[in-house]
Amino acid sequence: MLKSAEVYVDGVKNGNRLMLARTITLIESALPAHQELAREIVDRLLPETGKGVRLGITGVPGAGKSTFIESFGTMLTGLGHKVAVLAIDPSSSRSGGSILGDKTRMEKLAINPDAFIRPSPSGGTLGGVGRKTRETMLVCEAAGYDVVIIETVGVGQSETTVASMVDFFLVLMIAGAGDELQGIKKGVLEVADTIVINKADGDNIQRAEIARKEYETALHMLMPASPNWSPRVLTCSSTQSTGIDTIWNTVLDHRNKLTQCGEMAFKRKEQALEWMSFLLDEGLRAWFYNNPEIKKLLPTLKHDVENRNTSPTAAADLLLKILTQ
Amino acid sequence: MSEHPNLSKWTELAEKQMKGKSLETLDWTTPEGIKVKPLYTAEDLEDMESVNTLPGMEPYVRGPMATMYAGRPWTIRQYAGFSTAKESNAFYHKALAAGQKGLSVAFDLATHRGYDSDHPRVAGDIGKAGVAIDSVEDMKILFDGIPLDQMSVSMTMNGAVIPILAGYIVAAEEQGVKHEQLSGTIQNDILKEYLTRNTYIYPPEPSMRIISDIMSFCSSNMPRYNTISISGYHMMEAGANSVLQTAFTIADGIEYVKAALKSGMDIDTFAPRLSFFFGIGMNFFMDIAMLRAARFLWHRAMSGFNPKNPKSSMLRTHCQTSGWSLTEQDPYNNVIRTTMEALSAVLGGTQSLHTNSFDEAIGLPTDFSARIARNTQIIIQDESNITKVIDPLGGSYYLESLTSAIIDEAQKIIDEIEELGGMAKAIESGMPKMRIEESAARKQARIDQGLDVIVGVNKYQLANEKIDFEIREVPASVRDEQIARIKEIKSTRDQAAVDKALADLRTAAEGGGNLLEAALPAVRARATVGEISDAMEAVFGRFVATTRCISGAYSSEFVADTRAIDNIKNRTNAFFDKQGRRPRMLVTKMGQDGHDRGFKVVASAYADLGFDVDISPMFQTPAEAAKMAIENDVHVVGASSLAAGHKSLIPELINELKKIGGEDIIVVAGGVIPPMDYDFLYEAGVKAVFGPGTPIPDSADKTLRLLEEKYLS
Repeated sequence: MLKSAEVYVDGVKNGNRLMLARTITLIESALPAHQELAREIVDRLLPETGKGVRLGITGVPGAGKSTFIESFGTMLTGLGHKVAVLAIDPSSSRSGGSILGDKTRMEKLAINPDAFIRPSPSGGTLGGVGRKTRETMLVCEAAGYDVVIIETVGVGQSETTVASMVDFFLVLMIAGAGDELQGIKKGVLEVADTIVINKADGDNIQRAEIARKEYETALHMLMPASPNWSPRVLTCSSTQSTGIDTIWNTVLDHRNKLTQCGEMAFKRKEQALEWMSFLLDEGLRAWFYNNPEIKKLLPTLKHDVENRNTSPTAAADLLLKILTQ
Repeated sequence: MSEHPNLSKWTELAEKQMKGKSLETLDWTTPEGIKVKPLYTAEDLEDMESVNTLPGMEPYVRGPMATMYAGRPWTIRQYAGFSTAKESNAFYHKALAAGQKGLSVAFDLATHRGYDSDHPRVAGDIGKAGVAIDSVEDMKILFDGIPLDQMSVSMTMNGAVIPILAGYIVAAEEQGVKHEQLSGTIQNDILKEYLTRNTYIYPPEPSMRIISDIMSFCSSNMPRYNTISISGYHMMEAGANSVLQTAFTIADGIEYVKAALKSGMDIDTFAPRLSFFFGIGMNFFMDIAMLRAARFLWHRAMSGFNPKNPKSSMLRTHCQTSGWSLTEQDPYNNVIRTTMEALSAVLGGTQSLHTNSFDEAIGLPTDFSARIARNTQIIIQDESNITKVIDPLGGSYYLESLTSAIIDEAQKIIDEIEELGGMAKAIESGMPKMRIEESAARKQARIDQGLDVIVGVNKYQLANEKIDFEIREVPASVRDEQIARIKEIKSTRDQAAVDKALADLRTAAEGGGNLLEAALPAVRARATVGEISDAMEAVFGRFVATTRCISGAYSSEFVADTRAIDNIKNRTNAFFDKQGRRPRMLVTKMGQDGHDRGFKVVASAYADLGFDVDISPMFQTPAEAAKMAIENDVHVVGASSLAAGHKSLIPELINELKKIGGEDIIVVAGGVIPPMDYDFLYEAGVKAVFGPGTPIPDSADKTLRLLEEKYLS
């Protein structure tokens, strides 16, 4: 029951919620026919993309990401923005199915006519997250969403992938009892443009302030990713909606600074190139491993390497040569 | 005492009868994780702290009163309320004439959540699961001809507790009854609302203040009134086992005590007026033991606060038989279930009891079913001679062992909660809710495998279900009647007086005045329930719940026969292979119905079966649910309805889906939906209806079949 690319393209351009949602489904689909159609749609929508502010948000479970986005997104729609939220949900059970509950924590934003929230199951493939999310982000921009927020859980490798496709990467933290880095990988902090200590309310304000200083010190020891921007550490309360506007101002400040010196344009170009080489790598791997001769030879050679009949170098060499023959 | 001289002989004899199988194969592990042996002896009771005590004396294991039912039987207190105040009032009069002793009012969900009947969010809820009350005028009709100085009235109200309690007080004033003459109970147990039933309005902090304000007002003005009914009932109904029910209820109680002490009250001024409310299910001996254990634990917990009045550490409780244990299938069986549960409550020593009507899995009780329910208690009281002896099971080897086991297990959880900083903090952490949901998912899995037997559902099912009794329906005109009365009140009252009273209430909310006291002038001036709630909401905000959902518990409990669930898993995988994604389903709850056990269990189990399951926030309007279905691009929406809103909310959802292009999204419905409404729903476009007790693999199979027909053929 697939419609033509035309129908999807027009629908998305007109900001039709249903057609946007169905285009995302095509992008996320594992079927080659769907992927091909999705590619065509994304390609034709490309001229409409690029105008949005692209934000990545991550944080450990319990940092209050969804509640933060609820508060932040609601503020943005109040300022006249149209906000798309792409939430990547890792909660998949062994069966492959998953529970997608983000919207229960974004009650107001979920019913806001200027917001579009799409939770996506990660399906257990972290690499796949990036691919689908990037294209989904573009489609949302084409549908008129001028702020696109990508939410991931800060425990895997997916956030560095996300960081490489957004303009601004925000890491959400809470004041913890002693465990400063709370299992967050150092690599995640390295790509952060701003760290926000959430839940700075009630009797937690002081602890949040202490945590803020700790992170500031930690950041000083890291090399900033950009010469034009020093990452900041802020505090906020999503439930009291305090400090939320400062965060948006920081995003805008970052945008202005990087746009003026040309880094923003450069960053996006770099990201596009990175994206292309990522896809090339992925394609090459697929091409290699799907080659019938490789498929035939690989198990035997693995066996040989295991039993020390062949050296790993010789085996790899042999396999690669097949491609060049 | 040492081992019974003949115990080894008995073991020999028993193993011989078992043809060589070890005696241990007869051990049973209860859902609480308590190991139960086939035989208990005097030896089991050695060194047991809770054994050999006396009724009316600490630690009150054998009952809070010295004479218990030998002196006076428990109060038969049936919970009822529906449609308009007038209808409910007529029902109360009939019930009182037929032997009921106290009143217990059920309010509709709009009232619970602080909305007037004319509010657009609650169009589907008016008068459905209880009586609609918008102002003191409704309250006066509700108690018309019922002398409030003589009748003890229990009110199940937690969210809109200020306007409702104030309404009751003012209705009494206008009957000429003084505050100090009022007796009864208000549920006022907000903590458990965050855990299970979700009929809260404000965030926890101001809600706890409201409770302290009520305790404080009542301790000086209404000394005969129970200011809170600390309730485990809803936890059990949400799937908590008996240990969880006991532990969380006692922990809630401790939290309320701490809040009251913090507000400056003396323990003995309020603690004697704390009452409890337990749910009694089909685990017969377990729940008898639970009530005994709860009394022991409460006494132990309260001793820590050093009360001088013994009544401060005495647990008095109301009980209700389990609504969840009732089945839509072969529903007369419910009379027997309710009888068993009533006996369990009585042998456990309850102070008052509600017995459910057998038709409550299908609809609202009728005069007939309510009579049978009431007579269940009257027959136990008057015909069985059970009341003659106090705590007749005291000293039973088995029962005392169970009592002690529950005390130990529940105490561990209570300690765990204390470590988290008390129940309010524990609730914030999500721990109690997750435990209850896990317990619910496991129970569902046991039922679906036939390990927990439910006759008519997973054993001896009827080939043809036939309803041969009358079902009560709430006419749609109830909402119109309520709206008309609100209009009339608003046009005849002194608006300036209302505005001033509401402004004063707001000031009290901002500052430190007593909220119940401040609400009384507003009620007298005819401010509505919604207006009073709004005045406080303006200061406190409205609470938004965080929905968490567990995964894996359902399928991990499937040990016996996994064929049914393997079949579904294979098919969801096949669906993925052919469609490029898993079957995706939105489970939603529309209207003000906060019963989220079913919808959580379904979400969790379906994910375990290989579906991608989106959960909607609670309290959705049909248009909001439709938007979410479209955005998430689901194949199917499952609407859960337990509060009689299905006939308006579900067709509206289908309509809203059509409006935004989602007419191809399949809609299925589940919950308490009477069979005679099925055709109505099918005509409206619902593709499948799953009544109470439908095994998950069956509903998943049917849902999946609908998707396979549509997408794979």
